[in-house]
Amino acid sequence: MLIIEHLTKRYGEKTAVDDLSLHIQPGEIYGFIGHNGAGKTTTLKSIVGILRFEEGRITIDGHSVMEEPVACKKMLAYIPDNPDLYDFMSGIKYLNFIADVFGIPADVRQERIRKYADLLELTNDLAQPISAYSHGMKQKLAVIAAWIHSPKLIVMDEPFVGLDPKASHLLKEMMREHCDAGGAIFFSTHVLEVAEKLCDKVAIIKQGRLIKAGTMEEVKGDDSLEEVFLELEAE
Amino acid sequence: MLKFLIKKQLLEVFRGYFYDAKKNRMRSKVQVALWIVFFIVLMVGMMGGLFTAMALSLCEGLNAAGVGWLYYTLMGFVAIVLGAFGSVFSTYSSLYLAKDNDLLLSLPIPVRTIIISRLITVFLMGAMYSAVATIPAVIVDWIITRAGVVRILGGLIWLLIITVIVMLLSVTLGWVVARISLKLKNKSIVTTLIAIAFIGLYYYVYFQAIDLIRDLLANAASYGGRIKGAAYGIYLFGRTGEGDFTAIAIFLAVTAVLCVLIWRLLSRSFLKIATTKASAPRVRYQEKTHRARGPLAALVLKELGRFTSSSNYMLNCGLGVLLIPASGIFLLVKGGEICEVLDLVFTARPDTSALLILTMVFMLSIMIDNAAPAVSLEGKSIWIPQSLPVSPGTVLRAKMVSQLILSAPLMLFAAICGAVILKTSVAVRILLVLMTLAFSVFSALFNTVIGTKLPVLTWTSELVPIKQTAAVAIALFGGWFASILPVGLYLLIGYQLGAALYLAIWTVLLCGIDLLLLRWMDSKGAAIFAAL
Repeated sequence: MLIIEHLTKRYGEKTAVDDLSLHIQPGEIYGFIGHNGAGKTTTLKSIVGILRFEEGRITIDGHSVMEEPVACKKMLAYIPDNPDLYDFMSGIKYLNFIADVFGIPADVRQERIRKYADLLELTNDLAQPISAYSHGMKQKLAVIAAWIHSPKLIVMDEPFVGLDPKASHLLKEMMREHCDAGGAIFFSTHVLEVAEKLCDKVAIIKQGRLIKAGTMEEVKGDDSLEEVFLELEAE
Repeated sequence: MLKFLIKKQLLEVFRGYFYDAKKNRMRSKVQVALWIVFFIVLMVGMMGGLFTAMALSLCEGLNAAGVGWLYYTLMGFVAIVLGAFGSVFSTYSSLYLAKDNDLLLSLPIPVRTIIISRLITVFLMGAMYSAVATIPAVIVDWIITRAGVVRILGGLIWLLIITVIVMLLSVTLGWVVARISLKLKNKSIVTTLIAIAFIGLYYYVYFQAIDLIRDLLANAASYGGRIKGAAYGIYLFGRTGEGDFTAIAIFLAVTAVLCVLIWRLLSRSFLKIATTKASAPRVRYQEKTHRARGPLAALVLKELGRFTSSSNYMLNCGLGVLLIPASGIFLLVKGGEICEVLDLVFTARPDTSALLILTMVFMLSIMIDNAAPAVSLEGKSIWIPQSLPVSPGTVLRAKMVSQLILSAPLMLFAAICGAVILKTSVAVRILLVLMTLAFSVFSALFNTVIGTKLPVLTWTSELVPIKQTAAVAIALFGGWFASILPVGLYLLIGYQLGAALYLAIWTVLLCGIDLLLLRWMDSKGAAIFAAL
């Protein structure tokens, strides 16, 4: 589904991501962990085509992000760490805007909006302007916008920040359901307990370099993910 | 802390002069100096020239009639109106709607320090607007009256008093706008209508000014005596400019008292207004089927939605929407008579009236420049178009088309009105309409290109991308230059070709430039947008 090969991204003199390679298969929830400034967001933004990178290759279902960006973006959805949405729109207008861009037929989008807005308890607020939304409500709207076009790959940057416990639980269920249906999810998080329980595979990045990746069992063995992470960070 | 906040405010207002967004680095000292000189030349050359002419027409006559104070009174009122009404809506936005209000209020910074730092920006904006009238006023007076030290000192204090009054008025009006806004439902539309009413009043007074000045100069002594008798305060206000120490002392004292009163008003209400959300009624969502649109249509609608959601955006980048159709109706009503006079004036250069109609329509169309700040207005939401499955070229096309939707039909209407009233060949009439269309496309493309080349994505008030970026300034002044170029060249040499051939050449030339700009937008422009 998602293949990252030797990704290197530099900001001037600083190398933010250094020779990173990962392979995410359909059906996998893949966690991406690392300290602040490790290069997680840079990697995620490179995958979704927001950031250009100097070296390496990223492909989604065989399409290169650099050479066929539109084809890749049709297959993916992205939720950033801070969902700065269009404040001047109402929630429903934003969802319809996203659905229009992805070419989702009217009846299909209506059904999906109903399903996910009801699930995340946002239906009553859909006519409100986004400027009146709380951070959590914006996050929920971004989640619905991501799911509205049934993407193959969902890329999320700290998706649980700002969500209430119930919405977090629902999002986890939505993620599992998406992957059980053959999709894939690649997300960054600092909440190691969530990563440990939810992810099929996990990658740990430190100062731009991948230091460990694999199935949860391969990465943590008999220890907790937190212990492994702190140990690797200390090295 | 205050020093830091003032520096932050000033850096935000004048960011374009110090920071090169394209290269993501600070400009060199030489570049900064050149940008500042460019701005001063524009302000002094365009606006200052207008008020210098006004000052010249008033100063000598009023001083000769022994009512030199009336000159300072009149120029002072002009400057106050220009400064206060020019900055009232930006005052409201920069005081109460700044995006970093919440952040600053959460920090251990006294509220009064935040208010003072905001007021410095209001003061500077008002000073910039009013200086366009006050500086030519004092210089003209000093030269004509051969002013001594006392008069020069008086002029400088008059200038200072006006600048402070402008700030006080802006703050008061901004406070009124803020209070009203908290209760309004369709805030952006109502605010825009109020502002347009103000602007209409301003232009009405402006166009009456020539008659008023002529009348005033003919009866200067009589009016002067009557004003002095009925409104002594106004007389004293004018006397400050002449260096009357009593008047200066009184007005400095009055200004100081007003400053204290406004400060008390602001310090009592700032926190409440800045942290209160407008009491908009809750809209209940009712499910209905939405008509599916294509990506370009969705993006264009999004751009138009952004435009109509902000009174600042509509006022600064959409005034032409009202003025262009008004000009068409004006042409139908008065155009015939005016063209007859023009044909008599330009007998050696036939069809000059057609070129002048084009110039009028073009110049008014420059007041629809919503594409220029459109890239900058994406701000922190730029990740949305960048991560959607549309090419960057499509995103830019949507911005261009949104301007075209606002401008092209109206320009077409005005051009057809012009073609109807012109007494010329069918070819000239058709070319007038075709060239107008080509220019509307040029303007939309040029503004999109310049907005893409000079984006400013990091702002805390939407006024920065809408009013204060190099892209908007270039769109405005570059557009005006492009508007007058065809008529200028026609009067110089173009008339020798005949109007039909001349207009045909321009139409083809504009179509060619349109194609080049479109190509640049789809290739280099798209690459720049993708890398932002």
